[in-house]
Amino acid sequence: MKGFLRFLKKLFGICAVIYGILFVVFYWDLDGKFMYYIWEPFMVKRFDNMKREDNTKIPYMKKDILEPREYTEIY
Amino acid sequence: MKDLVHIFELEDLLQEANNALIRQAKADGKRVLGYTCYFMPEVLLDLPGCVSCRLRAPRSTSPDMATYYMSNRTCMYGRCLLERALEGGFNFLDAEMATETCTVTCRFQEHLQMMDIIQNPDFFCEFTDVPFKKNDNSIDHFETQLKAHVLDKLKEHFGIDTSDAALLKAIEEHNEICRLITEIGSYRKLDEPTITGTEFSIIMLATLVCPKYLIIDKLRDIAEELKTRKPDAKKNYRCKVVLAGSEEDDPNFVKLIEECGALVVADRHCYGSLPGREEIVVREGETPLRAIARHYLETSQCPRFMDQHVMRERKQHLADIVKEYKADGIVISQMKFCEYWSYERTIDTLIFPRDFGIPVCSIEKEYVNNAVGQLRTRFQAFVESIELKHIQNAQKGVTA
Amino acid sequence: MKLNMKDIKAKYRELFVVEKAPEDKNKPKDIKKMARDFWYGKPHEERRLGDLYVGDTGLYKHREWRGLPDTMYYFNMVWLYNYAHMVTDIIKYGDGPMGLIDFAKGTMRYRWMGQTYLTVMHWFDRGMEGMRGEAMKASAWHYRGMVSETIRQFQEMFIADKKMHGGKEGKHYDKNIAHNETVGGSFFYPFRGQLEDIPLEMIPYFVSVHVNSHTVLNYIDAAQSIGLPSDPCPMCQAEYGLFVHDDYPDFAPAMVTTNEACDGSVATSVLQDWFLDRPLYALPQPMRYDDPLVQKNHQKEIEQCWKFIEDQYGVKFDWDTYVKTAQSFNKLTEFEWEKWDVAANTPYYPISGVAQALYRIYYSQDGDRPIWHEMDEHVRKIMNKTVKNKIETFPKTRHRAIAWSCAPLYYSHWCTWAYNCWGINCVINMDSLMFDQYLRTDTYENALEDLSWMNEKAPMRAMAVGGQEHILSLFDYMERFNCDMVIMYDQLQCKGMQGIHGVFEDEFRKRNIHAIWVPHALPDKRTVSRKEIRKIISDYMTTVMHEEPLDPTLVEFDDDKSW
Repeated sequence: MKGFLRFLKKLFGICAVIYGILFVVFYWDLDGKFMYYIWEPFMVKRFDNMKREDNTKIPYMKKDILEPREYTEIY
Repeated sequence: MKDLVHIFELEDLLQEANNALIRQAKADGKRVLGYTCYFMPEVLLDLPGCVSCRLRAPRSTSPDMATYYMSNRTCMYGRCLLERALEGGFNFLDAEMATETCTVTCRFQEHLQMMDIIQNPDFFCEFTDVPFKKNDNSIDHFETQLKAHVLDKLKEHFGIDTSDAALLKAIEEHNEICRLITEIGSYRKLDEPTITGTEFSIIMLATLVCPKYLIIDKLRDIAEELKTRKPDAKKNYRCKVVLAGSEEDDPNFVKLIEECGALVVADRHCYGSLPGREEIVVREGETPLRAIARHYLETSQCPRFMDQHVMRERKQHLADIVKEYKADGIVISQMKFCEYWSYERTIDTLIFPRDFGIPVCSIEKEYVNNAVGQLRTRFQAFVESIELKHIQNAQKGVTA
Repeated sequence: MKLNMKDIKAKYRELFVVEKAPEDKNKPKDIKKMARDFWYGKPHEERRLGDLYVGDTGLYKHREWRGLPDTMYYFNMVWLYNYAHMVTDIIKYGDGPMGLIDFAKGTMRYRWMGQTYLTVMHWFDRGMEGMRGEAMKASAWHYRGMVSETIRQFQEMFIADKKMHGGKEGKHYDKNIAHNETVGGSFFYPFRGQLEDIPLEMIPYFVSVHVNSHTVLNYIDAAQSIGLPSDPCPMCQAEYGLFVHDDYPDFAPAMVTTNEACDGSVATSVLQDWFLDRPLYALPQPMRYDDPLVQKNHQKEIEQCWKFIEDQYGVKFDWDTYVKTAQSFNKLTEFEWEKWDVAANTPYYPISGVAQALYRIYYSQDGDRPIWHEMDEHVRKIMNKTVKNKIETFPKTRHRAIAWSCAPLYYSHWCTWAYNCWGINCVINMDSLMFDQYLRTDTYENALEDLSWMNEKAPMRAMAVGGQEHILSLFDYMERFNCDMVIMYDQLQCKGMQGIHGVFEDEFRKRNIHAIWVPHALPDKRTVSRKEIRKIISDYMTTVMHEEPLDPTLVEFDDDKSW
């Protein structure tokens, strides 16, 4: 019982510390600052340098000619 | 080439919306019905007792009053029309048969509806809803709309006979104009065309803005003369082009292209004849109104259509025109602030050279064409690039 | 790079230290007031919210102290709650813990995801700046609903996305139907449960702009880089840019598109066809939608769309599912009307202008989903409380404003600023008034008629097309919502709105209405910055209204680089 209480106390203590840290992160906008100064520049660099398909090279007219279907046809 | 018969007379008629022939039609007791878009079937507005007049604002300068109402960030065609209306230049109109087919012309027509602009006690403005697809449902819809918002209104306001017999007569007269224009236009397909793009543009525009019964004889004379007209001994153009794009009602623009050495052999734009001057065929068992509704949806090549296969066919259609008229390239011209043609022009500029091997000169212009010098440079460069291509192809042919 | 103590101190001051107002510097300490401020937060006029910003970044040196109860509510029930739920939602909607992997892959693959969504709590901050009590709580619930639904949608996309699965169809690929973001979710009600309808550009473009306005600029530039002029509607440009940039997920075998809301939207269809190269059904809506004669055509188009879906997916139209879903959606509509009633007739409406507008446009476009009902329940309780206890939720209201036309997406939170700075309470937006239609389900014919009507009154088009009387209905709504001021959004590239500019000027003068024109370029903050918008409003308030700001620190500040 005593051990369990000690565990609970420890758990409560850890939770309180985490809660406190989270409050500090919240209050001082550390999440925003992290995103703004570290995460976003990293991602911008990544996306700017990412190799992408050039979709404009898809030949439009080489596609299969679509048959007018029932819902588009002029009778 | 010798000057074409009546061409200066027709050119004069394009100098103002309320031209001499419109005035004559009014004196004859006809009702003059304005419209702005191909989707408003002109054949219905040419029923006995009335004449159609596709609105233009020739010799416009700065549309200041219209810019107050519509800001300077809208298509200048719409603004110039409003300016002309505010100036009193459209007071001859008995009605405006409107369509909400593109935003700015719609707003122009709404201004006619909500403000007391047209000083004509009989004037009214009526809107027709136009479908975005070419299916059977759309034809039903369009037919219903045309009946309710065009025929019934003409009957109600002006006592116009809208019977099937009257419609058939209007179709017959319309088809006669179409046959003549098609015949006149067919000389552009020759290896050495015997009509210039500027001349054709004047003739075509005249059929849109003048009462047809007053110009049909002139068209017959022109068609007759063209049968024997000979091209100049020395070719005075360097290549042939198709003019495609949005609203274009200024023959001087076509003249500008031709002065740069590119003969305009086909016109696939809002005020052009491809489409525009196909005959209306009334099928067996079909009412004339149904035939008209079907005809205008079937023939239109407007980028407003959204069916998937129609969007693809639209590209093919333009490529076919280039082939049929033996053109070397396409000038795609877009009225600044026209959203439909912004996208259409962009995609055409990418697709045609690559997928069809057709060179494209892609331009954006204003209704009042002030940037003549800039455009001239563009066209000259385009003509040179086509010539270079020809030289390269010829060299390849020799080496092969 | 060498860092010295001086630089570190300067950086610390820049990032964390709020300078005292000059008038407060020499004031003796008032313990009683300090205690009162600690518990209740500072009175509106003393908040100096503008001092909290870090330079032009929009970040906070520290988040606002709203008083102990409200700060702890915001910390626990908004900040912590939403961060935690963002994780659980990712797992829940991603078919279990594997959803975390899809989420991570999506974050690394798509710019609109990786650069945007993790900054979502700042979107909350901007939207709820300065708010207290019930207004803060109710608005936050609306935000929470939008975040959850966004996660559901992007997780659905990622699970199926070919691009994230080595070119192979992911799970549920053949059960997904993509649609243009302006196609209403309600069209797909008969197939809910059999298929998942997901708007293609809603998350990649529309929502992302609100959360982080930096991302979209890449797409606009991409569109213009291949020759598109800069004047078409930037919303369509951005949608188009997604394709050019190859930044759209490939999650469905077919797509439905529409002409809603303008010419630009029609014109983009050809690009959708070009880039997606798959069956594309166009579901256009009539322009002259008031005309009784157009209804049949649209109803047939809807039926043909359903046939297209049946053909493509081998599923069957399910009337019972339609009825169930439409009836469920009607409950959302009923609550919306209740909210409008409170907003129009009392000062107890607990939802900010931005939360009202965004939530309304999001859920009504998306269609019926469980999360909306859950959120509405939370908001209903709060609204009942404010009405019952006569709690004035925006007590510093000087002007009740109606915002008309299409809103600047990058500055959706301007309503929050306008209230904090000038006491302009944006009671209702034009976009909130869309889809104003109850869906009957007694017979198939009635159901189809109402569904058709509802979507003809979709965002923007309800007011901007079909006749000038629709856009001029502003004056009726002004009266209905008891407004004394108009915030007239002036979307520079919207031809429909530009085309009727002068008529509004004439009407405002004739009716002697205070109207502030707010120029903007929808998602593109480079054309008109937030600062310029604020300046226009502030200039009007000082030179025409001769009013003093409630919070002078908000009159002029720089946030050019903010999300």
